[in-house]
Amino acid sequence: MHEENRSGPMPGSPPVLALQNIRKSFGDLSVLRDISLAVDQGNVVSVIGPSGSGKSTLLRCATFLESADAGNILYDGQYAMRDGLYGGKKELREFRRRFGLVFQNFNLFPHYSVMKNITEAPVLRGFSRAEAEEKAFSLLKKMGLEGKENAYPCQLSGGQQQRVAIARALAMEPEILFFDEPTSALDPELTGEVLKVIRQLAEENMTMVIVTHEMAFARAVSEWVVFMDGGVIIEEGPPESVLGDPSQERTRQFLRNYQQ
Amino acid sequence: MSLWAMVVKMSEGLGKTCAIFFLTLLFSLPLGMIVALLRMSKNKAVSGVTRFCISVLRGTPLMLQLLAVTYGPYYLFGMNVSRNKLIPVIIAFSINYAAYFAEIYRGGIESIPAGQYEAAEVLGYSRFQTFMRIILPQVVKRIMPSVTNEVVTLVKDTSLAFTVSYQEMFTIGKQIANSQTSFMPFLVAGVFYDVFNAIVDWAMGRIEKKLDYYR
Amino acid sequence: MKKTICLILALLLVCALCACGKQAAPEETVFTMGIDPEYPPFSYLDDNGEYTGFDVEICKAACDYLGWKFQIFGVNWDEKLVQLDAKECDCVWSGMTILDSMKEAGYVISAPYYDNTQVLLVKEGSGISSSSDLAGKVVAVQLGTSGESLLNGDLQELTDTFSELITCDSFLKCFTELAGNAVDAVFVDLPVAASYCADNAGYVIINENLGAEQYGIAFRSGDAELCAKIEEAVAALVANGTYAEIAAKYPDIVNNLLFLNS
Repeated sequence: MHEENRSGPMPGSPPVLALQNIRKSFGDLSVLRDISLAVDQGNVVSVIGPSGSGKSTLLRCATFLESADAGNILYDGQYAMRDGLYGGKKELREFRRRFGLVFQNFNLFPHYSVMKNITEAPVLRGFSRAEAEEKAFSLLKKMGLEGKENAYPCQLSGGQQQRVAIARALAMEPEILFFDEPTSALDPELTGEVLKVIRQLAEENMTMVIVTHEMAFARAVSEWVVFMDGGVIIEEGPPESVLGDPSQERTRQFLRNYQQ
Repeated sequence: MSLWAMVVKMSEGLGKTCAIFFLTLLFSLPLGMIVALLRMSKNKAVSGVTRFCISVLRGTPLMLQLLAVTYGPYYLFGMNVSRNKLIPVIIAFSINYAAYFAEIYRGGIESIPAGQYEAAEVLGYSRFQTFMRIILPQVVKRIMPSVTNEVVTLVKDTSLAFTVSYQEMFTIGKQIANSQTSFMPFLVAGVFYDVFNAIVDWAMGRIEKKLDYYR
Repeated sequence: MKKTICLILALLLVCALCACGKQAAPEETVFTMGIDPEYPPFSYLDDNGEYTGFDVEICKAACDYLGWKFQIFGVNWDEKLVQLDAKECDCVWSGMTILDSMKEAGYVISAPYYDNTQVLLVKEGSGISSSSDLAGKVVAVQLGTSGESLLNGDLQELTDTFSELITCDSFLKCFTELAGNAVDAVFVDLPVAASYCADNAGYVIINENLGAEQYGIAFRSGDAELCAKIEEAVAALVANGTYAEIAAKYPDIVNNLLFLNS
């Protein structure tokens, strides 16, 4: 589906992802305080902020790895969580088809070859093996990993591993792809190859939410930037305004620290 | 009695020694997994009871457990003592080794990073699929050295079956030693066990090597 | 002068009386035990070159009890009765098997104190009444006992008729196997079987005098009184626990001692 040319949201169609008034606390520690965010089809949203600001938790709530305490989560206008209550096991499993998640630490399956890493989930979801493998080959080509299908993760560099992880997520044909600091675990010289792939996906109008510390990249690739701190959204808007001319002092302070 | 006659007589019991060894592995390896999963249960009562059982099984000598399984039912309930001693022997060995394997499995399962579960969950694997396809194969590789240790111990522990009069190799060795007033049978038994373990070592080494294709 | 002579005579008389008095006190009895010095655990030389063993210790204790002086004489086993007759020793007491020929020859033989007879212990109503009924049955025997060596030696033909012979490492286990119906009979020393039967109802002893052998003490003919004294002393040792104490040092034979297991 993502290979279709999607130039933008259809008029009147609901956002791919809508987070409404999300709250989450770990014990006494309030991590998310009333967060709302909508992502339209074909848009790239970058979430930035200091560590501990809750941005990763937000992604984990949206992907059901953590359960939020209150609020609504909607995919394509359908409630996955309503007023703090998640759907049933089966229902959530269906919702998971709609998104993919790329982790900071790749989390590839070390005992599987690259090919099996990419194809097993689609095959379990009912794709034929041939179909899944054909898809995997084209994804590997797109990721610049041709000929690596029989390698094992431990034989690949971090950058290559992360690109396999992206291919694995894309193989499920998600409507939206989440990235949780996709380059934070990489050596600086390897971040480029991963960012290039993500940029390429953005050009193909893949809907994405990217938690990142790469400011220049966020500015180049996203339609919308969200700055979070202390569990709240301090400022959001187009990259030129949030990153170029922030209205909030905390945003400015954060960006100054980054430029240093 | 010549040395060769001793070897021949003792190897008659080798079949029974092997029976204990293989049947114990056959039952205790899967049973250990069930025990490990019960031990890790979120239900506090289930995990508590399992934990207690494991501590008893690991905290008391196997010989005692053999006696308890073989003669306990008679003393407690007046039930018949089993004529086929292999049955109580295998029950006692399997339960005892399952307790050890359970703790090894638990260590292995808990050492798998949470990210593996999360990646599988997001990709839509069910809990069962996650365990069987993602977690278990990695656990197997990680616990291989500890399992090898236990298996080597098991080879030697088979000699404990003499305590309930199961006529395995070591029991026969003891009989010969007694009637011949000779230490030779014990030496022969030692060689038997060592050769047995050399084979076990070789086999486990092959398996470990087979799993060596990834880190 | 007369007085002097009288005095001397009186002194002599006193001396004589004193001497007489000394002579009148009972002379110490010396008891010489005839042993085979190479028959452990009944009689043997220990690492320090001293005679010891179960029989030796009992005899020594009996002599202590009787207030006798205890001596040991090592006999040549083949000539033991000749040496006894030659008064080189007062008894032969050394794990000696009682033979009818000894009694016929007139030797005084003590009551047996050790019994090697092997019997079958079975459950009442088991239908087993002789060793020939054991064909196809499972029999238990204790590892390292004379019963085990008998079944694997002189009685091998009988053993071959069993469906299985299992060896337990204790009598308790043999009996538990029988009680729990895992075996059909236990092959065991008579004294052990007897004491088990006395404590537990429902068992029958089948005695076919298999491996029958009893140990006793041989005295010269006419020494019945001496024999009785020794038997009395041993009975006293049994009664005051010394006997059991000494027996405990010899675990290999303790089960066959008649005085302890009846």
